[in-house]
Amino acid sequence: MKTNKPDNHEDALREVLKEWRTDAALSPRFQESVWQSIERAQASAAPSMWDAVARWIGTMLPRPALAVSYIALLLVIGGTAGWTQAHQTNARVKSELGERYVHELNPYQATRQ
Amino acid sequence: MKRGLVILFFGLIAAAAAYSCIYLTCTASARNMQRSDKPELAWLKAEFNLSEAEFKRVSELNAAYLPQCAEMCKQIEAQNLRLKGLLAATNQVTPEIETTIAESSRLRGECQHQMLEHFYAVSRTMPPEQGRRYLSWVQDKTFLSDYGMKQ
Repeated sequence: MKTNKPDNHEDALREVLKEWRTDAALSPRFQESVWQSIERAQASAAPSMWDAVARWIGTMLPRPALAVSYIALLLVIGGTAGWTQAHQTNARVKSELGERYVHELNPYQATRQ
Repeated sequence: MKRGLVILFFGLIAAAAAYSCIYLTCTASARNMQRSDKPELAWLKAEFNLSEAEFKRVSELNAAYLPQCAEMCKQIEAQNLRLKGLLAATNQVTPEIETTIAESSRLRGECQHQMLEHFYAVSRTMPPEQGRRYLSWVQDKTFLSDYGMKQ
């Protein structure tokens, strides 16, 4: 069984602090430096961007509606990128083959190589 | 967190799969053309919607024209070399240079004539509308824009 009761300790401490007096002067700009220390501590404790992303992935992404939307969005992005790239590839291949056809039939283009 | 990461990863896989499926499907005909024996003719068939019979006839015309074209290439090459040698040997227009230039012009005319004959023959094997489109395109590519004038 514990003999030290926290309430008794706090009361005693409070009594001691009430009686405590000091003549020592505070250092210049003491209050400002305290506030700066507090701000520094709060800034270092602020969550990083990665923490925010990790928290979002851990808490928000598993929600069914958001998960379905996320996958649907990536499907659309992937499909659109594939279609665009295919369109460019087809245009390039057609152009190259057309040029090769003309090149094969035109002696002046053939001898210019 | 683990479930979220699985969904994140699955989304990326889905995007890659969608990209690949659509890209490969849409470029299948282009890849088939490139893999064929004569990619240029395969392109011609696709571009001008040729039937199998039309394509066979165009292939025959092409096969008949290519030896003529190769012979022209040889003559042009020889003529160019001859002219180059003559130009390097003098600083004025000699009768030989005049003759060679005249021969070059004759060759060019003959080459144009043969090409035109071939283009008209090919266009006649196509449906009329496609034939007109073919002639317009091929003449633009050979005669009207870049007939030996580009550096």
